[in-house]
Formats: sequence, C-alpha cells, structure tokens
Amino acid sequence: MKPVNAMPAAIAVSRPGRAQPFADVVAENLDAVYRYLVYLTGDRVAAEDLAAETFEKAYRGWRRFDPQRGAPRTWLCRIAHSVAVDWFRAEARRQRREDNYMRDAAMLEDSVFGDGFSPELDQALHRLTPAEREVVALRVLLELDGPSAARVLGISQTACSTRLSRALQRLEEEVGDVRR
Amino acid sequence: MSEGEFQGHESLIAQLRAGTLDGPDHLHRRVLALGPGKRARVPMTRGRKLFVLVAVAGTLSVAAAVVNGAFNSGTNPGGRAAAVDSNRVRNQPASGVTGPEGPTGATGATGVNGATGAKGPTGGVTGAEGPTVYNGSDLQAADAQKSAAHSDKRLGFSTADSVKIQTHRLVHAVASLEVAVPSHGALTRATNKATEIVTQLGGYAQSVNYDASRTGPGQAILDIRVPIGKAETAIAMLGGLGRLISQTVTTKDLQLKSTKQISQAGQLRRAIAIYEQALQSGTLSGTQRVEVQIRLAEAQHELAGTKKAHHRTLASGRTADIKLTLTSSRNHAVVAGPHKRGRLGRLLHNAAGFLALEAIIVLYILIVAVPILLLVALLWWFTSGRRRRDERRLLAST
Repeated sequence: MKPVNAMPAAIAVSRPGRAQPFADVVAENLDAVYRYLVYLTGDRVAAEDLAAETFEKAYRGWRRFDPQRGAPRTWLCRIAHSVAVDWFRAEARRQRREDNYMRDAAMLEDSVFGDGFSPELDQALHRLTPAEREVVALRVLLELDGPSAARVLGISQTACSTRLSRALQRLEEEVGDVRR
Repeated sequence: MSEGEFQGHESLIAQLRAGTLDGPDHLHRRVLALGPGKRARVPMTRGRKLFVLVAVAGTLSVAAAVVNGAFNSGTNPGGRAAAVDSNRVRNQPASGVTGPEGPTGATGATGVNGATGAKGPTGGVTGAEGPTVYNGSDLQAADAQKSAAHSDKRLGFSTADSVKIQTHRLVHAVASLEVAVPSHGALTRATNKATEIVTQLGGYAQSVNYDASRTGPGQAILDIRVPIGKAETAIAMLGGLGRLISQTVTTKDLQLKSTKQISQAGQLRRAIAIYEQALQSGTLSGTQRVEVQIRLAEAQHELAGTKKAHHRTLASGRTADIKLTLTSSRNHAVVAGPHKRGRLGRLLHNAAGFLALEAIIVLYILIVAVPILLLVALLWWFTSGRRRRDERRLLAST
C-alpha cells in the first residue's frame, strides 16, 4: 500500500490530443478515485463498488472524453461524484426503512478513511458531512486545484474555497472534541 | 494550488496526507478486466461540432441553390415573360388591335389595283403624290419587312411576339403604351433609350415630357412618330423598356379614302382639261366663255384642295403615332427585363432566389423553434437546479 502523499501530482496533467490507453488512466487514478469515494461515502465497501461502477462508466464514455476540457482525474471524479450521489439517494431510502445502528457502530471500530490515522481523526472525519469530506478529499488528498474541484462539485470556485475552509475548521474542532 | 487555504491547518493536513488509503487489489483487477479501451481519436469539442454542422448545412444550402439555379436557367424566362405580357395585352379590356376587318375596316372594295388604275387614262396623277408606297404592294411590303427585320437584327430584338400591323395597305396606326420602370434612374435611361430606338428606326420624338421628383413617382410621356413599316418593331422594343402595364394599338384603313381622293382628283383633272379645251376652241359665246372660266377656276381650286387632302392622307398612312408613357411609380414594382440576362446570370439569379427562400424557411423554423427551445432550456435549468439542491441537501446530512 502506498502512502497517500506518494501519489504523483502530475497525474492531474493530461496529454491533450493524444490517445492515452484506458489502462494507464486506471493505473494512475484508481487509488485516488477510491480514496475520494471513501471520503465521500465513509464506507470502504461501498467505495469499492462505486469505484468499480465509476470506471465502468468511464470505460463506456472513454471515447467521448475530451482531454482539452479537463484532466482525466477531474473527469473521473465527476463521474464518481454522480455515482456516489445516486448511491446516497438509494442509501437514504434504505436508511429510512431499517435501523443501521449496528453497522455504523461496527464501522467506527475500524479506521475507515486511512490506515495509520489516529482514532480521533478517523472519528472526526466520520462526523463531518459527506459534502465536507468530499471537498477535503478533493483538495487535500487528491490535490486538485480550486477550479477542478469546483467543477467536480458543481459549484463556484469561491463556494468551493469556503466549503473547504469550513470543513477544515470543523474537522479541527471535531478532533479537539474527540480528544476531550 | 493555493496553500493559503490550508493556512492554520498544517498539522491536520499533514496527518490527512500521512494516511494510506489505496484501492484493494481485487478492485484493481476488477476494473482492469474492463478492457484496454484505447481511444481512436480525440473527439470533437461542442464548438467544433457546431461549426462543422453549420458549415455542412451552409454548403448543402448553397449547393442546393446552385443546382436549382442550374436546373432552372436552361429555359429563357424572357420568352415566358414576353408570352405572359403578350397574353396580358390580349386580355386588356381597353386594349386591342382594330384591324381592317374590325369596326373601322374598309377592306378591299377599292383595292391596290384600283389606286393604280386611277392614274391610267389621264396620266395626271403623278407618282409623287399617288399612293406609290402601296403600288406593287407585294414587292414593297416585302422590302419593308426585310428592312424592319434588318433593323430588328441590328438592335438585337425580335418582333415575333409583337402586335401585327398591316403594311400592304395604307393604314394609320395609333398606339399607346404604358411601361413601368423600377427607379428614376431607369426612367431617365428608358426615356433616352426610347428616343434612341425611335431615331434608329427612322422616326422621331415629336414631344417628350419628362417629370420626375426625388421622392415621388416619375413619369415621362413621349409622342413618337415612326414609319408604319417599323411600327411593330417600335411597339415591341418600346414595350421592352420595362414592364408593360398596358398597350393599345388601333389601326385605321386609309386605302379607300386615298382611292376616293385619287379618283376625285382624276375627275377634276379631266374636267379641267375639258374646260381648257373648250376655252381654246373659240366656239363659245361671250357669256358661255365667262361661265366656263368660272367653272375652270372652281375645278382648279377644288383640285388643289383634293391634292392637299390626299397628301395628308398619305402622310398619315406613312407614319404611326405612338404615345409612350414611362412611369416609375412605386405601385409598379419592376424587374429588369429578363431577356437581357445570360445563362450564368439566370443561374446566379435563381440560386440567389433559392437561397433567399431557404433563409426565409430557416427564419420561420427559428421563429417556431426558438420559443420551444427556450421552454426546454428553462425546464432543463429548473430541473438541474432542483437536482443540485437535492444533491446538496443529501450530501450535507451526516
């Protein structure tokens, strides 16, 4: 397993106008997309399924991908975002029907968001909303720039910056609360 | 990336980035099993697609217009227009050709031979004042036709569709033409051209009344005299100066009148000869002599009057009076004579017309489609905004 910060930053740079094999794109971005989905959903198992679904969709739409309009990672994150939102909708419907307390409790026992995280940080991350975790994942872990992250989220750059600031602030507070 | 956004959270950021979180191997295998998925080419952007679409549509429109123009430029629309004008002239209630067989016709009771026969016994009717134009009518008519045809050829005009005026008899022709031209400039040109045509045909413009203001409608009225043999050509050519609005041609047969005048003159000459012979014989008494002298003077006076009248009849029969009215009224939207346009010109004209038609159709489609498209866009925007709000609410819940 590679550390998160070992991901190549140049991955966001596409090769416009050149045919890039899909396998290369998968190799370069699968971990990042998976990480993003884990942060977004807070569920590794679900993130795996969603990552697979994301790449399946990406594979089907690979011929339509225009490298001039954005990096492959941004494109993949947009697909992943759309897939995750659908999952959230389904999950919300499911949660209305059944009590998932036991499952949430079980998830809190293991570190979800990263191996080697302190329990406080992992718990604090879990307390954030999916939207807050999503912006943290995009900007901090995947190191997308402001415009790319905003495009994935479907919001303005300013709104994205504000959301990140609030998310980090809240994460700091939650970590402090958990420690106390 | 703006590191300023992470200011104050450096420790937290470091912790987050220190964690490891990679996709499990079975996920890698699962995704890689999807296939190689090589892209054959870079897809076109929306702007480029739109550009290509517009270019293809434009090319097809122009090609269709050119094909339409080429297809329709094969026949001469001038011929069709002339035929239409000709029909219009025939259908004019106030127009028409009153020939010798018509209401004013005085056909043949006194023929051409009668006219020539009149000068036989006396030999007094001179060729100069007699109906010499109509003597030997076939030959002279043929000459007149030949001359007219020559003029037509020289002026690049055909009289095939023009009104027929008899040239083998002494007739007086009066024609009235109303021709519309598109602009004041065209009115001036048409007036000058009319004078030129008449001069080339051996006639003249007796009067020209040109009246055109800068803003209002313009009019030019020309009283024209042309040789009767060229009248048909003149009518046809003058009618071709613009769009023919109305045309009236009236002919009056003068043959009988001329013959009567010749006959009367012959009788008077014979009477004068008898009177002179009687006076010279010396057999008359004084009273008789005075009486004969008076009769001689009266006959001579009457002969002079008859000769003048005959001159006027001949003069009337030699020329045709044409009243040409050129108008540049706004009511008469005029297209330049199509017979002046070549095949390429017709092709371009038809193609331009077809393109204009296409543009009108596209405009109509846009007028109909734009509100629908706006409605669809509004619906899409509303749905999209609602979906985004739902999504935000969903992701904001813990």
